Amino acid sequence: MKKRSFKGGVHPLSRSHEGKALTRNEKVREFIPEMVCIPMNLHLGAPSEPCVKKGDQVKMGQVIGTPVGALGLPVHASVSGEVLDVGEKQQLGAAKVTCVTIKNDKLDTWVDPMPDIGNCETADPKLIIQRIKDAGASGMGGAAFPMHIKLTIQDEKYADTIILNGAECETHLTGDFRLMVENPVPIVDGLRAVMRAMNCDNGIIAIEDNKPEAIEAMRRACEGRSGVQVRQLKTKYPQGSEKQLITAVTGREVPRGKLPIDCHVIVMNVATAAAVADAVNNGKPVVRRITTVTGRVKQPSNLLLRIGTLAEDAIEFCGGYTNEVGKLVAGGMMTGIAAPNDDFSITKAMGGLVALDTSEAISYVEHPCIRCSRCVAACPVGLNPATIKKYCDANDLEGAKQHNVMDCIVCGCCSYTCPANRFLTASFKNMKDKIILTSRRNGGKK
Amino acid sequence: MNAKFKVSTAPHIRTSHTTSRIMLDVLIALIPTLLAGIYLFGLRSLMVVAICVISCVASEFVFELVAKRPITVYDFSAAVTGLLLGLSLPVTAPWWMCVIGSIVAIMLVKQVFGGIGDNFLNPALTARAVLLASWPTRMSAAAYVAPNYFGSIDAKTAATPLAGSGASLIDLLLGDVPGSIGEVCKIAILIGFAYLLIRRVISWHVPIIIMLSTSLLCWVFQGGGISTPLTALLSGGLMFAAVFMATDYTTSPMTAAGQLIFAVGIGVLVAVIRSFGSYPEGVTYAILFMNLVTPLIDKYVRPRIYGEVKKSA
Repeated sequence: MKKRSFKGGVHPLSRSHEGKALTRNEKVREFIPEMVCIPMNLHLGAPSEPCVKKGDQVKMGQVIGTPVGALGLPVHASVSGEVLDVGEKQQLGAAKVTCVTIKNDKLDTWVDPMPDIGNCETADPKLIIQRIKDAGASGMGGAAFPMHIKLTIQDEKYADTIILNGAECETHLTGDFRLMVENPVPIVDGLRAVMRAMNCDNGIIAIEDNKPEAIEAMRRACEGRSGVQVRQLKTKYPQGSEKQLITAVTGREVPRGKLPIDCHVIVMNVATAAAVADAVNNGKPVVRRITTVTGRVKQPSNLLLRIGTLAEDAIEFCGGYTNEVGKLVAGGMMTGIAAPNDDFSITKAMGGLVALDTSEAISYVEHPCIRCSRCVAACPVGLNPATIKKYCDANDLEGAKQHNVMDCIVCGCCSYTCPANRFLTASFKNMKDKIILTSRRNGGKK
Repeated sequence: MNAKFKVSTAPHIRTSHTTSRIMLDVLIALIPTLLAGIYLFGLRSLMVVAICVISCVASEFVFELVAKRPITVYDFSAAVTGLLLGLSLPVTAPWWMCVIGSIVAIMLVKQVFGGIGDNFLNPALTARAVLLASWPTRMSAAAYVAPNYFGSIDAKTAATPLAGSGASLIDLLLGDVPGSIGEVCKIAILIGFAYLLIRRVISWHVPIIIMLSTSLLCWVFQGGGISTPLTALLSGGLMFAAVFMATDYTTSPMTAAGQLIFAVGIGVLVAVIRSFGSYPEGVTYAILFMNLVTPLIDKYVRPRIYGEVKKSA
């Protein structure tokens, strides 16, 4: 089959299997923590409002945070036990977040499941989207976008293709891969549920060609199911970026400033699809995810973690650090967040924890741009990062906008490839935030 | 939240291609050319090149010291400029010309405009053009001696640096013709070209397009004593400049389409100057002219942005 791809992109760590060799053959193990600290901002949008208080007994799956605002989602307890605290804590974002800390009684007493609506093939399509919302399903690939919002579309729009993102193009991460290899059926179930909810009969599971076992497993799981198939993609970063994936799979492009639905496509992560299946088939909310804990830890692993597990506990479970740690990255090397310490919670969108030792945690120093144009060739969007950077350095919002900084997808390719180690991606992210903030201050005018 | 670990922005890994590594690769790619030059023209060619390299690096150091800029001689870019300048001079070039050329290249062309990455003309080529304009006799036909294989310099002189006059293709390929130190031995240049391609320092497009368009057009125009496309290709400084000068990052366009325009522009200009101009060789001016056009090309030739033209069915 033809391997599909997109324009531009880079091949980070291509000589060491994208950093995935450490964990790709590690079976998923479950880790049950002594306590969890569940932040109320597990999804994009306003944080949920905690609805339990200190001293309450909660069951697993019980709603502990109620949705706030248009993008709101409920938050569920990921263990059963006593609420130790409801208070603010510093997570990886800039501001402190309200978190609910629960001591695990290790009984995993489930709350009564949500009402039975049948399974993914039989459920009433009208009930599926509401169920996805009630289960607190948000994008588990990294963006944490509430899934039901993606599926709620205006009447005149329609989806003719649902793509499941199994590219996992970020370095080091193998959680989606293990899920596809070990448990492919729920993924197809979830895809079918979404296809039925969207009245769409074309479902595609897209996987990079460095995961042949996953491609094989998913093909087998797709056999006999209606309208679903597997597509092989070239291994290239950022193959799993939503827009690049759509182009690679369908040959279409999302029009500028529009959403995937405007080219009739909906993309969701394979882990999200599995969570959807759990919600529809079993009436259970999202309380767990697979996270790859790797790098300089004694036993690099793919762990099935309760949402809210502390990073330090997960790392301890993997035998602790092997070297002196210089950097701890939540996510992969290209887009992950460098954590100042390991006292933060695993969220629904956190696919990995990568510990780097002091020699790997390099502090890059910016050198002058030599106009080598590697960034231009690498940009999957078709921007000229070197030129935009000049406007960013001069704090020229208009100039940066004219050179289309708002089209930047913040994938990191330009910074990765820059021989002068310029902080291109970071500048663009900063500039995009500034432009959005300024336009909001000016009353939304452009 | 107390910070235990290093915090930085994504991405957390970078390629091993750094500015200094790239410049070092260019230096390595020029070694075959330098060795061929020494073999063909004798040890004096090494002296010419060495003076250029040393005075370029020294100029950069002194300027940055005086201007209180960060010292950047360790990125090897000044050494590359010096080596390129030295190799594009005749072996007869006096030491003071080498020094003046180096000062022009580094101080006037590169540093005054902001240092590495900010010059809009190729420093080595501009210096060569300045020397050519200032001391025409020392840079013209008479100065270009034929290879003497360590013999005395005045053994034989040639009529023209463009060796259309009778030299065999084998002589042209191996470098047994009069010319600048680095430009004569095409085999050595091709080895350096291959190295740069393997190391992915440059892509093949610009050099190959320049060579093809020049040789074809020279053949079509039938000027300057050139009879076949192959003679045009192997004559003068075309190949050296196409591989090492026109591929200078800073002074060439950034987009693939822009580079195509740039390369074809050079090819056409070289052919026109060679065939119809008063100079026998036009590569220097052709590239410098296209250097000047580069900002314009970069302004108007932009790649299509994702989702800009709706392609979807």
